[in-house]
Amino acid sequence: MTNTGQVLQANWDWRAAGNFMFGGSGGSLLLIAGFSSLPDVPHPLVAAVAMALVGLGLFLVWAEIGRPWRFLHVFFHPRTSWMTRESGVAVAFFALAITGVVLSLPVVVAVAGVMGLLFVYCQARVLKASTGIPAWRQPAIVPLILATGLTEGAALLLLLLAAVQEAIPWLDYILLGLIVVRAVAAASYLHALARANAPEATISVLKRTAIPFLMVGSLIPLILIVLEVSMTTEADIAIIVAGILALVSGWYVKFTIVTRAAHVQGFSLGVPGPAS
Amino acid sequence: MEQNRTPTRRKIRTYCNQCGNGPDLLTVETLDGVATRIEPDFAAHGVHPADGKVCVKAYGLVQKLYNPHRVLTPLKRTNPKKGMNEEPGWVEISWQEALDTVADKLNGIRKRGLKDENGNPRFAFTIGSAASPMWYIGSFPAFIQAWGDVDRSIGSGTTNKCYHTEHIFGELWHRGFTVLPDTPRSEYIIGFGYNADGAAGGVIAARRHADARARGVKRIQFEPHLSVSGASATEWLPIKAKTDSAVLYAMLHVLLHEHPLTDLDVDFLKNHTASPYLIGPNGFYLRDPETRKPLIWDLAGGQAVPHDQAAADPALEGCFEVIDAIEIGADHELWTHARASGMTGFEALRRHVADRSPEWAAGVSDIPAHKIRRIANEFLSHARIGETVEIDGHLLPFRPVAIVFGKSVNNGWGAYECIWARTVLQTLVGALEVPGGIIGSLVLLSGAHGYDRMNTVIAGEDGFMFYPFNPTTKNEWNPRSDSRHAHLTLTPMAGDGIYSHNIGSTVISWMRLQGRAAETWPRPNPPDVWFLYRCNPMNSFSELTKLGESIARFPFTVTFSYTMDETNHFADIVLPEAMDLESYQLIPLGGTGWLESLWSSKGWVLRQPIVEPRGEARNFSWISNELARRTGLLEAYNAAINAGACGVPLKAEGYDHALDVAEEHDEKAVWDRVCKAASASLTDGEEVHGLSWFKENGNLLRPMSTLKWYLFPKMVETGLRFELPYQERFLRIGKQLANRLHETGVEWWDRQLADYEAMPEWKDLEKLWDDALQRNYQAAAKDYPFWLLTTRSMQHAWGATASIQLLAEVGNNLAGQDGILVNSIKAAELGIRDGDEIEVRSAVGAMRGTARLRHGVRPDVVLMIGQWGHWKTPFAKDLKRPGPNDLIPMNMDLIDGMGSTNETTKVAISLVEARP
Amino acid sequence: MTRYVMVADLNRCIGCQTCTVACRHTNATLPEIEWRRVLDMESGEFPDVERLFVPVGCQHCADPPCMHVCPSTATRQRDDGIISIDYDLCIGCSYCAVACPYQARYKTDRNRFAYDGKPMPSEEILMDEKRLGVAQKCTFCSDRIDAGLEANLTPGVDPDATPACVNSCIANALHFGDIEDRESNVSALVDNSPHFRMHEELGTDPGFYYLWRRKSVEE
Repeated sequence: MTNTGQVLQANWDWRAAGNFMFGGSGGSLLLIAGFSSLPDVPHPLVAAVAMALVGLGLFLVWAEIGRPWRFLHVFFHPRTSWMTRESGVAVAFFALAITGVVLSLPVVVAVAGVMGLLFVYCQARVLKASTGIPAWRQPAIVPLILATGLTEGAALLLLLLAAVQEAIPWLDYILLGLIVVRAVAAASYLHALARANAPEATISVLKRTAIPFLMVGSLIPLILIVLEVSMTTEADIAIIVAGILALVSGWYVKFTIVTRAAHVQGFSLGVPGPAS
Repeated sequence: MEQNRTPTRRKIRTYCNQCGNGPDLLTVETLDGVATRIEPDFAAHGVHPADGKVCVKAYGLVQKLYNPHRVLTPLKRTNPKKGMNEEPGWVEISWQEALDTVADKLNGIRKRGLKDENGNPRFAFTIGSAASPMWYIGSFPAFIQAWGDVDRSIGSGTTNKCYHTEHIFGELWHRGFTVLPDTPRSEYIIGFGYNADGAAGGVIAARRHADARARGVKRIQFEPHLSVSGASATEWLPIKAKTDSAVLYAMLHVLLHEHPLTDLDVDFLKNHTASPYLIGPNGFYLRDPETRKPLIWDLAGGQAVPHDQAAADPALEGCFEVIDAIEIGADHELWTHARASGMTGFEALRRHVADRSPEWAAGVSDIPAHKIRRIANEFLSHARIGETVEIDGHLLPFRPVAIVFGKSVNNGWGAYECIWARTVLQTLVGALEVPGGIIGSLVLLSGAHGYDRMNTVIAGEDGFMFYPFNPTTKNEWNPRSDSRHAHLTLTPMAGDGIYSHNIGSTVISWMRLQGRAAETWPRPNPPDVWFLYRCNPMNSFSELTKLGESIARFPFTVTFSYTMDETNHFADIVLPEAMDLESYQLIPLGGTGWLESLWSSKGWVLRQPIVEPRGEARNFSWISNELARRTGLLEAYNAAINAGACGVPLKAEGYDHALDVAEEHDEKAVWDRVCKAASASLTDGEEVHGLSWFKENGNLLRPMSTLKWYLFPKMVETGLRFELPYQERFLRIGKQLANRLHETGVEWWDRQLADYEAMPEWKDLEKLWDDALQRNYQAAAKDYPFWLLTTRSMQHAWGATASIQLLAEVGNNLAGQDGILVNSIKAAELGIRDGDEIEVRSAVGAMRGTARLRHGVRPDVVLMIGQWGHWKTPFAKDLKRPGPNDLIPMNMDLIDGMGSTNETTKVAISLVEARP
Repeated sequence: MTRYVMVADLNRCIGCQTCTVACRHTNATLPEIEWRRVLDMESGEFPDVERLFVPVGCQHCADPPCMHVCPSTATRQRDDGIISIDYDLCIGCSYCAVACPYQARYKTDRNRFAYDGKPMPSEEILMDEKRLGVAQKCTFCSDRIDAGLEANLTPGVDPDATPACVNSCIANALHFGDIEDRESNVSALVDNSPHFRMHEELGTDPGFYYLWRRKSVEE
């Protein structure tokens, strides 16, 4: 008998998705900004946005949990829980980032950026450990979550720098590369899901997501970046559009994975083995 | 909240009898006097056949008790206009006022006369199905007895919702008001819609069938949808609706035409059935002119001899030249034969099914011929003809094969064919009323002989058991019976016992009240006073919209109610009645009861208040007392209790706990006496226990031999034969009834009279329905291409559980309970998706509901599980679950000879709105 | 060692949901919260269709994903294999619920009632605020087991030491006992019947055995 009852999970809603979207972007943002600004500290706006995004994600999660005033209990299980680890890394992230920015210690900010990356990695592992949701437990989700986070981080940095009239020349190439890596990660994730017999509904939702994601979220930004890079003219608007598309498409795909493609394992009968 | 104090916890014993299969035993846990939990009665392990467990319904009792929608005060109607769309204008009144008002009406009847100008009782009383309300009704039967003429023909579901035809022929042939497989010993069970696991058989059947499966029983389920019972069967055969008889006739054909006689149970046929009886040229038995006894052909002596000649070797096959015999037809018509050809009943049977081959049946039923043949042969080979088994020192035949039926196979058109063919099949292999075969378990028609079915095995005519046919001969026939369905006049098989009103054609009562039947008779008046208890005909009967118009004309309706519902919407007085966990009653426990409720002990069990009645709810014993006093019937009422109206006479040989008839007694005093009398009678005076003992101990049981499950030894002991295969008495009664009716100008019962056949001809029921639709509704067969079927689920079969949230909730775990089951592939053809709103339309009504798609239902069938469609009952009405009943026509063409109708109709379906 | 497991005989189960309601009663769970329930599964196409009733609930896995992911250590494994939830520790993050491949876990933030959003007396007296906003699931009626063991009773044999669903099962389809005890009722059942465990490929090592003898229909 095929699996029955593969309904959409109802435990984590848009708030949890928000943590993956904003936390992923914020953590990655500080990583790229922290290292790219060495030997200086990044622009304060960039650091502030990075922390705000991670903070917003965590706030949304806090708003979703049933017993918010017991939130400290989240730290009780570092031995196996990626959620505890994610929370611990978040604490380190904020402590280092604030220290680094306030005291203007570039290396500390860079280390905070590493924590940001670790935070994104923890998020990926949080999903992977969710055995009940085939779309999440798929190992290929780890590179995908990392790639989306990093792409969003790069895109965000590019946008923020544009806002403060700054630029890092090679950032365009980084974004271009990350968009390609992200597209590859997404394709291999989908492929792996299909091979793993993920719920039909999950696959169909993700396939429907893939077209706008790959077209609008990847191909168009790629073209825009290539245009911008090849035409030596000032084409800020193209890169800004590319950045926005890369950012939003990353959020879109994570929102989809966490909420709309998160069908549960369902129930199925095993093959009855002989009496032992 | 006080968290620190441990609440006082108590466990109290009582029973659940919400369906016919009870009582089953349970305990209720209370915390600080609040009922909280139902649990099995673990102390009944090994005594109760299901080890003291109760089914899912019993767990609804706590919600049933505390349901905030309960009626908890007497209500009076203020809007004199009645109708579905009329607001009744309920006003709360005191019990004093309510009872005075009711008593006033009743006293008015006593003044005017108990019967009206048509001879119909002015007082009518209706209860719910399977008589299970009787186990909650306290001492009310005593009031009814004290009152005198009461019309109980205004049905709430009997004849269209019951095993009607099986009740009748089951009792006639083997004292089986309900007929069941001897599951604990059976090896091969064929079910045609038999729903033992799903709902019909209660907790005992569920357990016994599970045990049987574990033992390796083979169960074949013929049913148009894959029911719970089909799911647990070895094999599901999706038979075309209403073609069960074709398969059964083909099975007869296989056994009678593809096997030599010696493969069958020849001894059983020769000595324990009417198979050797010789049928004369006019279709009646050839009889000895002197003794008038039916003749058989003695192979040893080479001559015809009376059936009871001990030394004879009866011939089964062939026709024999009989010298000097008579035939007695209808109305004493006598044929004297100097020489006549007599055909054995067995031979007539063989010829009757000569054309009914599996190949023929396959074309009718959609079941491949090779499967029918295989199943018939398996039935024969599993019968273990010749084997015996010892029970309590008695050697009995062992025949572990059974064919059993569900609703609409065993009532309405086609039921006679099915039940006859089935019971004949059982006789062919000797598997009737013997271990492993089919057995009956309950008698309600064959005489008031207590609960001991064996006592009803007494000699009637021609070597058969007595049966209380209503007379049809010229001088004895009752041309105007007092019940509104005229059961004494129209349905001789219904008898005239305590249950006969329920077996008469209640469809006829309603149709007569509507002026749609019996046009040569006066249209009856509605009863002056109508009492209803634990039933909701406005939900459970047929053609409900029309029914509502009838009920609206009833001048004074009193309901004893749990919540507001579709029927008490039309009432004048609504009285809040104490529920299962709020009142006293001692009732019989064990023995042999409904369907598979066969025990190896019997005794008595007490229902007791777990909590004080909520609000102003009062138990029925108190209500009965009050009514008896107010109508001046107290003495007669007390006398009826003394005589046994509460289940056991209070005074008999060896004990005397009788009430002083002149005094008024409160309910505790009454039930204390009943407890004492019941325990004394059960134990022959060894143990006498009052109410307080039963409150503590719950029940009192004594062992009973399982020999009492089987009629066969008693039949042998009394020298009686099973009246099969040929129905000579039935044929004669039918002809006499036809004569009587025609003499009085009644032609409108002719279609039903045609059902009185000595061996039923196979009938094409699809055609019967199509013809009826065309004749009555000018509809072509293609207009209604689906059969609408219905089935019960354990959560909601009987018991008025429609408004129990817990049961509705868990019912949703089962496919289709919240909507209309449609075949997935058929639905796709029609553009219907799971969750869409669809309309099901019959010739008389339409109903909407949510389409639920499954593969386990025939493409030409739609299924509604349960009896929903509520528009008034709180909670249930918000579920928006559809019910079939408003769609099922009441129509003279669709009433069978015994007076019942199928719980089905032809319908069309269409998409109303796709789900978002 | 002791490992308590549940055994469900699919050839006996008729999907009646008596276990579901018995669990609702005994554990006083709120409406729609069914620690134990029975699925109604169908496979095949008309007319070759099979329908099976499958009791589900927490499988008390030996390697429980819910416990590993739990950030608060509220979900724990007892020495007898029962997976428990400490309602005082749980933060209600529902991570366990998405980690469980058996849809066994529930969380509700508010009390709900059978009728009209107001508690009946029976609901009022059983109300347990501790359960709000935290994860909840089948406990194998561990309180009954513990009380029973204290009274020298045998879980799975004596009703007072046995989960309510097992006690209530009218088809004797549900059984409970110690699978590590070679002499136990459940060991005998598992030893003597074809069986499977659900989603074993996920490595959860579930403590819920399904006995299932497939039908063989002759043609």
